[in-house]
Amino acid sequence: MLVYSLKRFAQLFTTVLGVVTLVFFTMRMIPGDPISAIAGDNLSGEALDRMRSQMGLDAPLFVQYLNYLGHLATFDFGNTVTTKLPIIGLILGALPVTVSIAVGTIVLTVLISIPLGTLAAFTAHKGHRMLDNAITGVAMVLDLMPSFWTSLVCLLIFSLTLGWFPASGTVSIDDPAHLLRRIALPVLVLSMAQVATLARITRTSVLEVLSEDYVRTARSMGWSELRVLFRHALKNAALPIVTVIGLSFGNLLNGTVIVEFIFTLPGIGNLLVGGMNSRDYQMVQTLIVFYALIFVAINFATDLIYRVFDPRVQF
Amino acid sequence: MNLHVPIREPLLDVRDLHTHFVTDTGTVKAVNGVSLQIEAGERVAIVGESGSGKSAMAMSLLRLLAHPGKVVAGEINLEGHDLNRMSERQLNDIRGAKIGTIFQDPMSSLDPVMRIADQMVPPIMRHLRLRRDAARAEAISWLDRVGIPDPSRRIDAYPFEMSGGMRQRVMIAMALSCRPRLVIADEPTTALDVTIQAQIVELLKELTAETGAAMIFITHDLGLVARFAHKVGVMYAGRLAEFGPVGDIFARPQHPYTQSLLDTIPPVDQQERRRLAQIPGFPPDMKRPVTGCAFKDRCPGAHRHCFEEAPELAARGNDHVAACWLPEGLGADRTVERPLVEPLAPTGIPGDDRVAVEINNLHKHFTGRSALPWRKPPTVRAVNGISMRIRRGETLGIVGESGCGKSTVARLLLGLDPATSGDIFIDGIAQMVFQDPASSFNPKMTLSSIIQEPLIVTGWGTRLEREDRVRELLGQVGLDESYMHRYPSQLSGGQRQRVAIARALALKPSVVVADEPTSALDVSVRAQIINLLMDLKQQLRVSFVFISHDLLTVSYVADMIAVMYLGEVVEYGSADEVFHTPAHPYTQALIAAMPIPDPAAEAARVQTPLSGELPSPLSLPPGCSFASRCPKATDYCRSHKMVLKPYSATRETACHYAN
Repeated sequence: MLVYSLKRFAQLFTTVLGVVTLVFFTMRMIPGDPISAIAGDNLSGEALDRMRSQMGLDAPLFVQYLNYLGHLATFDFGNTVTTKLPIIGLILGALPVTVSIAVGTIVLTVLISIPLGTLAAFTAHKGHRMLDNAITGVAMVLDLMPSFWTSLVCLLIFSLTLGWFPASGTVSIDDPAHLLRRIALPVLVLSMAQVATLARITRTSVLEVLSEDYVRTARSMGWSELRVLFRHALKNAALPIVTVIGLSFGNLLNGTVIVEFIFTLPGIGNLLVGGMNSRDYQMVQTLIVFYALIFVAINFATDLIYRVFDPRVQF
Repeated sequence: MNLHVPIREPLLDVRDLHTHFVTDTGTVKAVNGVSLQIEAGERVAIVGESGSGKSAMAMSLLRLLAHPGKVVAGEINLEGHDLNRMSERQLNDIRGAKIGTIFQDPMSSLDPVMRIADQMVPPIMRHLRLRRDAARAEAISWLDRVGIPDPSRRIDAYPFEMSGGMRQRVMIAMALSCRPRLVIADEPTTALDVTIQAQIVELLKELTAETGAAMIFITHDLGLVARFAHKVGVMYAGRLAEFGPVGDIFARPQHPYTQSLLDTIPPVDQQERRRLAQIPGFPPDMKRPVTGCAFKDRCPGAHRHCFEEAPELAARGNDHVAACWLPEGLGADRTVERPLVEPLAPTGIPGDDRVAVEINNLHKHFTGRSALPWRKPPTVRAVNGISMRIRRGETLGIVGESGCGKSTVARLLLGLDPATSGDIFIDGIAQMVFQDPASSFNPKMTLSSIIQEPLIVTGWGTRLEREDRVRELLGQVGLDESYMHRYPSQLSGGQRQRVAIARALALKPSVVVADEPTSALDVSVRAQIINLLMDLKQQLRVSFVFISHDLLTVSYVADMIAVMYLGEVVEYGSADEVFHTPAHPYTQALIAAMPIPDPAAEAARVQTPLSGELPSPLSLPPGCSFASRCPKATDYCRSHKMVLKPYSATRETACHYAN
């Protein structure tokens, strides 16, 4: 376990360093920089150059890079270009919204897709293809609908026509009921995209386990099919399911950027879009470090959960 | 006065059982009218080749068939209750409680993510109505009875923490834990090594005798039948061809199929090395209706009646029934047509004692990765100092249990893996025949291009010359020219193995290495391949290395035998000598564990299976590698390394006490 933790830490370090480097250089390859984004056409070239040298943007790229790494090592994430507010404060303020959406989506996805996938597998195993085909078909249709489109459709139906959920307005973590109403639609939209994948993988892996020898052994000891399904099949099928849930977090972080934008939610996805538009190097880089940390943390959690389901997994 | 004698009701009375598998391409009538009775305490073996319906029949009894299998008709009376009329719920009170089941593969038959206790205890609680702690105590006592060391601790282990043999013991403990009246064992030892098989078979015998449970034992191994069963049922094409007491079936088999099956087994007595019997043709397609006897197309004795009407089981002696129109099947003189096989003289081919293969002090070590960089990495000495010579035209048999390094030797001989140290000298080239012909061919290539491949790789001849060579090779392995343009999927297992042999012979190799070439085949097909190998040996004077765990086959095929244990050769000598007067305790144990297809001989043998299992190859004992399992081992053995020493003119053995 110690060796494993050390390895994991080394992995975290290299991942973050790699991501930071990549983002640092690609950001600077995009035309425009923060100064021109703030100033627009109002300032003379001389004034712009002065501001650039104040911010250290005239130094050679490599020196800027080393400077940035130095700041990062002391956990100094800097201020935004436009409002001069500390970036870390903005991110920590926005994080709960995004985390609520992500966790909500995962919970909803799991609640829908695992029972559906299991049911499909069970009926398929018994040779009844009708229900299985229906579930698989619906999952496929859901999978093919892009999030930005379903978002707009949901907004149109549930917010504008039926008025069940507010389409915009403030969000505060201190008012959970309101928060829930605000994130309900984004969570629904994101789940629709995730349910298909997870239901399908659940179906496949449960179906595979149901034809395993040990399932027959359990049946030969007098257990009913349902008990065998829940006690033996689901636990054995869990590994690929957990893997896919872990991986879907990646897609989900992508998805939150889109739904936060459409539903005007003040999460880190919106911060990222804003940061990109104003070429706020610091903001984007810091956010990417956060995203990388979240990814590594989820991978780590996935590995730990493996151990819960399968004693053969050793660290 | 009451003179009425009560008729003893059999424990299990199966009547006219039919099981069908409905598929898109037709209905497979896997079990097509089987009736049999089993008395309490009786051990009944059901033998048959793959596809004969023996497993489907056994699984039908408890309705454990996988979709789309379905029992469509018949009665399954257990102690007077018809299981076939019961609901799933009622049947769940029979499964495990009245009938226990043991499956073939211990590696996959236990739930890998549950502790043994969690798999064993709940059924005991349910069927015997015990509380959890009492049920757990019961489970522990069963684990103890099946020979699991330290059962009160091991019950909390996971299956992956146990060896295959131990897992099969757990499986047996589980199947017997609710004191069933009947145990169904579906090939319970097929996946195990021969010494472990002997242990398991003894255990099953003991436990069923103790509990008085009857047993249905599904197997394709006639040797095991002779060792184990009271009665035998021979299945063919979904029906019983013959059923009777084991001694009777072996001594005077009545059905031509039973007779042929028995004749496909290599004889134990080397003086009677007859060519093995072959059963021509293939089993019938079970999707098509069969008119007349299902065996008629393969039966040398078939006459007009056999084509018109299917024979029913009819009495052929005490308790002995057979379904054949011929009164004695093929009769007693059926062996006359098969000539004796000339063994190679111990001096080799007269006037030719050139050496085809010479191996000097061969080592192959596999080094793993250590957890921490400064620790010594774990090393498995798969081959640990082997020296051998194979003369031209000689067949060397290599035997040993799984993990002894016999397949590694094959890979080294072919240069598929580099040796860690030592030399291999081959006069000419070596070619390989693999165990599973289905997976060693590219399914998208025609047989012609499969056989040509080695020729193309070495730039042999023109296209026309190569095609001529393919025709010649197909002829040599007994396949028609028309097979050239077929694909592997269109062939049966035996035909594929013929193609594999043809491919191996394409380059006129001096030595052909065959790694378990017959293990994946049914007994009747196995005999064909063995006969083919014997013919090729005589015609082409090619050397064979025949690697197998099946001692009887090896002793039939080979001129010399090398017995391997943990990467070393412990005995090496002429096949006759090694097989009939083994000198090394391990060879003796292997031969004792090997079931002989002769019930009388089996009954006369002393059954003391070799105890224990292979030690971990990661930490070999310092002295003789066999010392940990050897009944004769002393402190001297445990501290001194043994090397091969001459035992007789044609034999060497690596045992301090053999000489």
